[in-house]
Amino acid sequence: MRAFWSVFGKEILLFLRSFGLVAVVLYAFTADIYIAGEGIQVKPRHVKVGYVDYSGGYLANKILSHLHAPEFEKPRAFTSVEALHKAIFDKEIIVGLVFGSDFERSSYRSHRAKVDALIDATAAAQSFVTLGYLQNIVLGMSDIIFPVDLRIHKLFNQNADSKIFMSFTEMLSITTLLAVILSAMVFVKEKEEGTWDIMLLMPTNAKTIILAKALSQVLIILGGILLALGFVVLGIFDAPMNGSFWAFMLLSLLYSLTSIGIGFFIAAASRTIMQVAQLTILIMMPLIFLSGAWTPIYAMHPVLQKFSLLSPLRYYIEGSESIFFRGASILDIWPSFVAVALLGFILFVVGYRKIGRLF
Amino acid sequence: MRAGVIRAYILKEFKDLARTKMLYLVYILPTMILLLFGYGIRLEVTHARTIVLDYDNSTLSLDLISALEHTKYFDAHVSTMSEQEALRLIKKGDADILVIIPASLQKRILKHQKAQIGVYIDGAYPMRALTMQSYVEGEILHLAQKLLAKRGFDGHLITINQRTLFNQAMRDENAIVPGLIGLIMLVAPALLAALLIVKEKELGTIFNFYASPIGKTEFLIAKLTPVFLLHSLNIFILFLWAVYLFAVPFRGSFTLYWLASELYLFVSLGIGLLVSIITRRQIVAVVLTVIITVIPGFLYSGILMPISSMQGASAIEAHLFPVMYYNHIVYDTFLVGEGLASHKTVLYLGILALYGAVPLVLGTLLLRKELR
Repeated sequence: MRAFWSVFGKEILLFLRSFGLVAVVLYAFTADIYIAGEGIQVKPRHVKVGYVDYSGGYLANKILSHLHAPEFEKPRAFTSVEALHKAIFDKEIIVGLVFGSDFERSSYRSHRAKVDALIDATAAAQSFVTLGYLQNIVLGMSDIIFPVDLRIHKLFNQNADSKIFMSFTEMLSITTLLAVILSAMVFVKEKEEGTWDIMLLMPTNAKTIILAKALSQVLIILGGILLALGFVVLGIFDAPMNGSFWAFMLLSLLYSLTSIGIGFFIAAASRTIMQVAQLTILIMMPLIFLSGAWTPIYAMHPVLQKFSLLSPLRYYIEGSESIFFRGASILDIWPSFVAVALLGFILFVVGYRKIGRLF
Repeated sequence: MRAGVIRAYILKEFKDLARTKMLYLVYILPTMILLLFGYGIRLEVTHARTIVLDYDNSTLSLDLISALEHTKYFDAHVSTMSEQEALRLIKKGDADILVIIPASLQKRILKHQKAQIGVYIDGAYPMRALTMQSYVEGEILHLAQKLLAKRGFDGHLITINQRTLFNQAMRDENAIVPGLIGLIMLVAPALLAALLIVKEKELGTIFNFYASPIGKTEFLIAKLTPVFLLHSLNIFILFLWAVYLFAVPFRGSFTLYWLASELYLFVSLGIGLLVSIITRRQIVAVVLTVIITVIPGFLYSGILMPISSMQGASAIEAHLFPVMYYNHIVYDTFLVGEGLASHKTVLYLGILALYGAVPLVLGTLLLRKELR
């Protein structure tokens, strides 16, 4: 037991002594998550609209006056269709409206009028939603009486607030990245310096040393999660916490052990830190992308869906999302717990054996 | 500048890379990211699992249900379960949308009274929630228009004649894959370059450099050339995947794409070099590089959100990172085809050159040739 604590303490001390590493881990768990949360607003916000008005009339102005903040910027007038085209090609304008010279006239005479809308579809999501807004505005201007009121409730996240979502998934991704890379580095650094074989040859049980090294990294990761959760996700972005905090921490603990199992594999397979870096990225990218952090799993390619069953991050994300947003209890989401624990157990045990072998 | 010295050093660096079996990773990594992200990210929502509770059972409600059933966007199932049960299914993540058609919907509409249709959408993925919402709204508005046409409507009607530019089919691949090239060409070379010098520092072999008569510039040229050459090939590999596998149209000039990518490669190498010079441990270098390249490379690149609609801090950050300038050019060459005719492209090309030069010069200045 004394050997365990001294190795444990040594690793924590080594971590704390490396100023750069502490700074980077702190940055990753705070500022980086903040940047990811702030970076994206999926709702159309400040969409740049440009228009050319050949009709010079009241109706066009009335439509344009409906395009207001915060969804749209004040529409910019262009003198010709060519100028508008150029602005769209330069990505200064996302939606361009052209009111033809007979727009107003035909609206009064034949009760039918047409607006030409040019939409930059490289921003596919925004243009889709913007189009919906436009259609609604135009429909409201027409004399249609359609007495159905659509009551739309977005469950769990009524305003479709992407800040919470993005910061949350970023926190989980950062956790994975750091857990894998830190635990692999702890071993490979010794390998590179040639001290690992000496460690294994020491008269204490090699298993104790490996376990102490691994668990010291778990402590660092859990500390980081608490920091990120307290300051950024719950603090700045004010995420809802509908479920139990301890359920989440338990899941996080299980998950960190799983990630460290992956770290073992990488450590066993590589001799230099350069290899660790490349291998980590090689394994992390699929892990994160197959986990449903960015797209829900059932929306993926069918083959990728099968692969995603192997990603422990998938169960971690499913579980913690249910805890946070849907307020599920442990009993509701026990499959996530079991899956993380099972994958973790396999990875940990096999990786443990691999890294414990001499040379 | 002594060509002989540089050549010898480059040879040594190549051998180093080859011995660590890094060479194949240089080519596997970018391709793998492109395939995964290209197939993995879907912005369009298809087959949303929809539960319809029909309390009305009228022709109108049946029209509505068949409208929902006959698009690829929804997998609608009419069910007789209770609202609580249906909401629970959403809670467990087994359904996405719940549509509740109240009793007497048809009756009220025929009498011109207000009726309500309740729609519940799983909001856990904000982007999908918004998209699904606009689909549901669109579907019901469309139905309304059809109904009005049947009744011989005679009021003012303004229609939108929509034309989508650059990505007429609204394919996700077209919108995402070119942006991914910008992400990959930032991350992969930077990651390799970041370890070049710090590795020697940690192993102590940097003393060879301190003690040898090789100059700082010569050293850097020798260090960066192998990475530059190896990754230059990726510019073509990624292009081939995008055009032939993902069938993204290519409308601009290939020379422009190639030149801009080589410039961008300098930017990426410069970032890696700076990281390598300021850090002392490899692990710090790796984590730092991943964090400062992956997040901006993805979020501030214009893939998910157009740069022009960013505001405040995020707009400033987007302009600080080099990704958006390169991505503008890449999207231009793939989907738009304006090329150098647009002043913005020329300007951005200049900015990229600046971004490429500054870290390299800064790195040369910061690199010391003696012990700290």
